[in-house]
Amino acid sequence: MEPVKFDLVALNLNTIMPMLITLGGALFILIIDLFKKLDKQFYVTVSMATMLLAIYAIFQINSAGRGFFDVMLVDGVAVISQLIILGASVLFMPLALTGFRFREFKFAEYFAFFLFMIAGFQFMVSTDNLILIFLGLETGSLALYALIAMHNRQKSLESALKYFTMGAFAAGLFAFGSMIFYGITGSVEIGQMKTVIEGNNFSNMPLILLGTAFMIAALGFKLSIVPFHTWTPDVYEGASAPLAGYMSIVPKIAGFVVALRFFDFLAMADDGVVQTLLWIAAVATMTIGNILALVQDGVKRMLAYSSVSHAGFVMTAILMGTTQAHVGMFLYWTLFLFTNLGAFAMLWISRHPSKQFDIRYDHPFTKFSGMVKINPVAAVMMAIFMLSLAGIPPFAVYWGKLYLIGAAINSDHLYLALIMAINSAIAVYYYLKLVVFMFLKDPSQNDGTIYNMNGTFPLRLVLIVAAVFVIASIATIEPLSAFIQTHVVASGF
Amino acid sequence: MENLLYTALFAPLVGSIFAGVLGGRSKMMIAGLVPSILLLVSLAASLVLLGHVLSTGTAVAVTMFDWINIGNFNVAFGFQVDQVTAVMICVVTVVSAMVHIYSIGYMDHDKGFNRFFSYLSLFVFSMMFLVMSDNFLGLFVGWEGVGVCSYLLVGFWYHKRSASWAANEAFIMNRVADLGMLLGIALIYWQLGTVKYDEVFANVDKLDMTVLLWITGLLFVGAMGKSAQFPLHTWLADAMEGPTPVSALIHAATMVTAGVYLVVRANELYAPVPEVGYFIACLGAFVAMFAASMALVNRDMKRIIAYSTLSQLGYMFVAAGLGAYWVALFHLMTHAFFKALLFLGAGNVMHAMHDELDPFKMGGLRKAMKGTFILMTLASVALAGIWPLAGFFSKDLILEVAFVEHHFILYTVLLLTAGLTAFYSFRLVALIFHGEERYKLFGIHPHEAYRFMLIAMSPLAILAVIAGFGFKGDYFAMVTQMLPATEYHVHSPVVYWTMVFGTQIFVGLAIAYAYIKYVKVKAFDPAIESNFFYKLLINQYYIPALYEKFITVPYAKLSRFAWKQIDQRIVDAIVDLIATSIYKLGEVSKRMHTGNLSTMLRLMTLGFVIVLVIALALQMMAK
Repeated sequence: MEPVKFDLVALNLNTIMPMLITLGGALFILIIDLFKKLDKQFYVTVSMATMLLAIYAIFQINSAGRGFFDVMLVDGVAVISQLIILGASVLFMPLALTGFRFREFKFAEYFAFFLFMIAGFQFMVSTDNLILIFLGLETGSLALYALIAMHNRQKSLESALKYFTMGAFAAGLFAFGSMIFYGITGSVEIGQMKTVIEGNNFSNMPLILLGTAFMIAALGFKLSIVPFHTWTPDVYEGASAPLAGYMSIVPKIAGFVVALRFFDFLAMADDGVVQTLLWIAAVATMTIGNILALVQDGVKRMLAYSSVSHAGFVMTAILMGTTQAHVGMFLYWTLFLFTNLGAFAMLWISRHPSKQFDIRYDHPFTKFSGMVKINPVAAVMMAIFMLSLAGIPPFAVYWGKLYLIGAAINSDHLYLALIMAINSAIAVYYYLKLVVFMFLKDPSQNDGTIYNMNGTFPLRLVLIVAAVFVIASIATIEPLSAFIQTHVVASGF
Repeated sequence: MENLLYTALFAPLVGSIFAGVLGGRSKMMIAGLVPSILLLVSLAASLVLLGHVLSTGTAVAVTMFDWINIGNFNVAFGFQVDQVTAVMICVVTVVSAMVHIYSIGYMDHDKGFNRFFSYLSLFVFSMMFLVMSDNFLGLFVGWEGVGVCSYLLVGFWYHKRSASWAANEAFIMNRVADLGMLLGIALIYWQLGTVKYDEVFANVDKLDMTVLLWITGLLFVGAMGKSAQFPLHTWLADAMEGPTPVSALIHAATMVTAGVYLVVRANELYAPVPEVGYFIACLGAFVAMFAASMALVNRDMKRIIAYSTLSQLGYMFVAAGLGAYWVALFHLMTHAFFKALLFLGAGNVMHAMHDELDPFKMGGLRKAMKGTFILMTLASVALAGIWPLAGFFSKDLILEVAFVEHHFILYTVLLLTAGLTAFYSFRLVALIFHGEERYKLFGIHPHEAYRFMLIAMSPLAILAVIAGFGFKGDYFAMVTQMLPATEYHVHSPVVYWTMVFGTQIFVGLAIAYAYIKYVKVKAFDPAIESNFFYKLLINQYYIPALYEKFITVPYAKLSRFAWKQIDQRIVDAIVDLIATSIYKLGEVSKRMHTGNLSTMLRLMTLGFVIVLVIALALQMMAK
């Protein structure tokens, strides 16, 4: 056996630099905390700096490829998804600078956990090694459970516990799935698996399908694919609004990247079994997510179910397997990021730490009755986010929907395209329901400040950035899709 | 020349926009003056264009920009002024300009003064567009524009129920006919791949006879609607609900003549299918007689004139149908002058009589309204076709055409109709201007119209006098450069002079009879009401009643049925059902989400099993 060579150049440290930076930032916060208790402003600043530095490091990776004993795989997809993860995090972080004091922000650990979580997801997307994926996934998830629980309401604790239990179950499924694939192919790297499985022409199909079922269940849990989505509304409701918005984006893009790497070659198999499975899952997810969102009374729960539906919508990109679809997937998610985070931030800005608006919900639809009369600016802002989520031109998500439905048509998935269109139509109903409440009903209270009582300058800034992006998205589509296109094509998807 | 063409075409549009901007305000003199001046500009440009076409014999053509480019369907926004168009635009602008000036006085006290001029100029613009377009599609745009404007103007006093009803009737009936027209144009495009006149006419011989029959038939359906030919004629008389200057415009310049223009314009399509032409001629002769008969008994001054237009359009279609396109166009021109004059005169009378329309309640107005009396008498003489006024030249020509072409039945019908025309025209003149002053019973004090209104009418009067003998030669030389130059001569001089004098004497007798019968009338004689023919005629042969009974009422029932039974019971119900069932589905699946962790875990396991089962099942099926 040859001794392991430690060649620093061959390690290609660039590939791991962004994660090292986030991890370093997290450790720095923990160490500082040992010596001196500092204000949350400080932690926010450090976290922001760390994340911006990590983004910078991502742009420094000019030679895409493998590193760290070939465990790391930093290709175009990894770059885009890391940018989406960090971008969402940068937008999320200022939301901690609320007007009211919330308990979680008192702890330095909150910020450390947050950075650990990001690092976990970064690892998850920058490798095709199932073990590292697993590690990244669990690092990110464990940190996330803690973040949810730190919101320190009974509901938060409950939902964190539920999420944790189910997450553990999903982790088990993932491990089983990995095991089966390792058994078939003798490798834990997706690239190798692909070579082996395609090499012997999908001969072990039943076993492959067993493994695939495990993987679908495991990743389906992360992506809240029906029927593994049951945690979503409870957990979103338990988590603070920005964290819920964050959860609807970041862990999911990480999950999508893994799903893309894993299912892409399986879905393209000749018999089309996996493709059909994914088809059913995607259609079920977008449809059931939609019809459940229809009947919700709380805006947050509605948004939770609707983000399930959005995930189903984007799932279709994986089964289509064309470059256009993959570009559409990242494009959609980028546009969705700004819109959804904006919508959740709108809820956050109206939150009170202890008082709940009504017994059952923080944000029932009735809370927004006649909002335009008492707080027109906020109402218009909220309406813009809702219209964008509903996919109404020229707002952001419309372009994503257009791109994906176009991809479906171009790849001859006509029924899928039709179902996507019908679902988009159904979705308009519940998004506009909120708009109707805000614009056409009479106010339920006189005090307009209730809608931004938690507001501070950083929160407003985040909202403005999100709103401007949503409105001006028409101008960004061209360069954005071109950027994504080059990266996706470069990594062979 | 191009700029002149644009000026002639777009000046009315500018006027319309100008008045339209002021539309919401109360009366402003400038809103009437500017469109009128712009229309005079348009008139001047049209006359220069006419001069150009006359002197050089070449058409002015422009392509403004590409209009439609879809696949290999290309239509440019093109306009042209050739011999036929030159005649049309001059007629249209002369009549319209005079009507505009007249309207400044006529609409003096109306609240919608500004709005009126906006519509009026738009009407003219649409008609100019119609006649100047160099392709069928542009013609269709103008055609529809004319339809819309007629709707706006007939229903100008929209607060009157009858006015809005008449506006709808005019619009809907034209819409029915326009469908035929549109189908005809589509057929042309389908067969020849173009809608441009030159290209279409150059390729007529490539068309199958049956197809050509369909094309000409369908186009004529469109013409029937616009020119109010039987059975689509009822709207024209009802359109009298609009302000009187509008009637003058519709009847003389901007609307009903469009149908005749279409047939003349498309003469090269009609030439190879004489059977269609013969049908058009027969229908025209029938309408001429039919409309004249209704005019005999009517007690509404404006309706009488309207029926007379219908009748004269019939004459034009006889000429066009028999291939004498230049004659048809000539009658169109002369008729435009004296009919506009007649209507404007009627407008004066209406104003004087406080909107009273029943001539039996007038009488002896010649003392109070000398100018109007002279002008209207002149117009009536021209209409009756007495030498040397305009009507004689054009109408006699049509009679000669029928005679020379050996259509003696048509000839007889038209000759009789000429007598009827003279009779009802002078029945009207006698009742309005002669005899006892019956209006005094109603306490009306008539007054003459503004002087400038009479001045605006005088050019029309001059044209009604001289258009026949003055223009015929030049006109013939010019339009026959593009229309078939058939001259219709009765070979035997004896027959010819007998015909001419015979007709004149016949018409003269009819006039004399009308005078004798109606000068001394004291009031309307109710005894006649029980007469069968009177009842038939006054009820317009019961055609409106038949339409009501067999078309309108059943259609309304059908619509109600479609609404109540099909739309509400079936379509709406299905839509609602889909919505509620989706919603219910949501309520049901909500129960899946109890928030109970054990249930959730079980569901996950179940999900895994389902995925596996489906996967294996699919695998089996794939094998």
